[in-house]
Amino acid sequence: MTDTLYIAWRYLSYYKVKTAILLVSITFILFLPLALRVMVTACETQLMARAASTPLVVGAKGSSLDLGIDTLYFESKPLERIPMSQAQRVQDTGLAQAIPLHTRFRARERTIVGTTLEYFDFRGLSISRGRQLARLGDCVLGAASAEQLELGPGDHLVSTPENLFDLAGTYPLKMRVVGVLEPAHTPDDGAVFVDYRTAWIIAGLGHGHENLAKVEDPDVLLGKHGDTLRANAKLLQYNEITVENIGSFHFHGDTSEFPLTAVIAVPHDQKSSDLLRGRYLSSEETCQILRPIDVIRDLTGTIFRVEGILNGVFGLLAFATLLLVILVMMLSLRLRQREMQTMFKLGCGRSMIAGLVAAEMAIIVLVSTCLTVALTALTAQYVDGILRVLVL
Amino acid sequence: MRSLITRARIHIPCLASLVILAAMANCRSSAETNKEKATHAGKISPPQVYVVNYPLKYFAARMAGDAAEVVFPPPPDEDPAFWKPDVATIAAFQQADLILRNGASYARWADYATLPASKVVDTSSGFRDRYIAMEDAVQHAHGPNGEHAPAGTAFTTWLDPTLAARQVEAIRVCLVTLLPEKTAELNRNCENLISDLHALDARLQRIVKGHHERPLLTSAPVYQYFARRYQLNLKSMHWDPDESPSDSQWSELDGLLEVHPAKWMIWEAPPQGETEEGLHRRGVSCIVFYPCGNSPPDGDYLQTMKDNIERLQAAFAAP
Repeated sequence: MTDTLYIAWRYLSYYKVKTAILLVSITFILFLPLALRVMVTACETQLMARAASTPLVVGAKGSSLDLGIDTLYFESKPLERIPMSQAQRVQDTGLAQAIPLHTRFRARERTIVGTTLEYFDFRGLSISRGRQLARLGDCVLGAASAEQLELGPGDHLVSTPENLFDLAGTYPLKMRVVGVLEPAHTPDDGAVFVDYRTAWIIAGLGHGHENLAKVEDPDVLLGKHGDTLRANAKLLQYNEITVENIGSFHFHGDTSEFPLTAVIAVPHDQKSSDLLRGRYLSSEETCQILRPIDVIRDLTGTIFRVEGILNGVFGLLAFATLLLVILVMMLSLRLRQREMQTMFKLGCGRSMIAGLVAAEMAIIVLVSTCLTVALTALTAQYVDGILRVLVL
Repeated sequence: MRSLITRARIHIPCLASLVILAAMANCRSSAETNKEKATHAGKISPPQVYVVNYPLKYFAARMAGDAAEVVFPPPPDEDPAFWKPDVATIAAFQQADLILRNGASYARWADYATLPASKVVDTSSGFRDRYIAMEDAVQHAHGPNGEHAPAGTAFTTWLDPTLAARQVEAIRVCLVTLLPEKTAELNRNCENLISDLHALDARLQRIVKGHHERPLLTSAPVYQYFARRYQLNLKSMHWDPDESPSDSQWSELDGLLEVHPAKWMIWEAPPQGETEEGLHRRGVSCIVFYPCGNSPPDGDYLQTMKDNIERLQAAFAAP
């Protein structure tokens, strides 16, 4: 047996190219479905982990998928807004902590996430450099945002206008980068975090300007009606919030009606969660409440059905590869006919020769299997990094 | 070869001993570290309650005692209503277990600061319908149909002892949530404090009874809630105790005295001697009634209010 294996090994070592081609082909066809399974499992785990860590989301009625995706990954088409009073409503129930989210705006293709300090505790986000949000106009960058935008504490970041042709619209806000978060390996790494009221200022719902009672240019005022001074668009509004002008910033209108894109509700326990969900069952309700894990589970179930299709393709590929390997072996045997005859004349029986050929195949399959296992293990080891680069 | 084996026989036991000793030292330091941690864990600091003005500090500290650390960061020489904390102080507020705001647009800095919403309590939210809008406040709007920005409200709510009592009750609710094991003590202290506030209120009611129409002046518009509670006939100037009034301000006062012949002017702090003389020449005497927004130089809120009432008695005792 050992002699057979030795001769088979020497034969394979001599014909390196052929052996390598056979090894690569068989390894490849074994590795692909395994790697796909590993990556799909890891992807599903990561997607589900993000969804599982977000108990409930309240948003406008409509597509629950869009609401879930935007709340979890900050990537969706613009959502219908809900008023701030919905966050207060959740808080007032005493059943859950409400965390408002405003994700309408972007800065250099990064989503500006307007929220409260509770969001950072909820997601386990901590500051790596600089400090936490302290004032309106401050922004904190996710680790990936800071790296890719090459910004850090002390720098500035300007919000992107929604409509470049809206000349009469609000000015972009120049935000002060005050901190960078530790890498979280979640979509939070790619976001820009601000106080939700800073997001309202970007929306033009709040602004700062000089005191109208002290303005010197008469063209700025439309007039005085009772105890109300009315200003026109000539009044210069600050596009940066500084220590000197922060006192002038204010909001017009009832802030409880100001918009949010979603409210994350963190219930105190399962019973509170069920009770809170029950409050949104009425057909007259203008908002919906959903469990992100249900939404993502449906989504992954749909997407990962593709895995079955791919596995079918790999199966066909494997069958074709097997046929090719058999063809190669058969052609190889024909080419080695003289070699076989020589071995026969030397005294090798037919079974010995068959054993040699079988040993060659066995070695190739064994080595391919080992390579497959090693590659699969490596993939499993680094799957998080691969997914971050390729997918998430 | 033999020398190699010999050297190995010598060195291996030595190395093993060193490794064992190093492991023992590590275990000991770990044990000491764990012991230090355990000792430190036994001295957990009480929850921190940050407040924006002195009355809230007094109320919270009086109820919580040693069970909570009540922190009032503004410096003693600044008006907390207009104080602007630096970033480090805002960060300290963010780390607090409870943040008590006065409400009624007091301490506007908190409107611009990012504070943890779950820890901030507006102690006057229970009586928002009782807020007093600032007199002569100018609102503004943008465009012909734009919405107004709010003009602001009077914020010295604690000068009305009955409103102060409601703020005390709001603080009690928060403290009970923060310190549930101290509920009985908090309730007891709250009752005592509210009782003291009601005593102040009763005393003031007796003093002003029958003198509601007596014209009075104030140096600054900070006594709105006090005036409303005791139905006082107050008119406010905008005079700074540390500055002498200008000629136009004296003229304004002279004009006001013709229609509002006050004999007493209530000051938030002792005025300058020159100001006091000018007022005396006009037949107006000065009474200091500390609003207590910041820590009083002597005593506490309750004692300061009692002293205020003592001085105020003169305005109503004289014919």
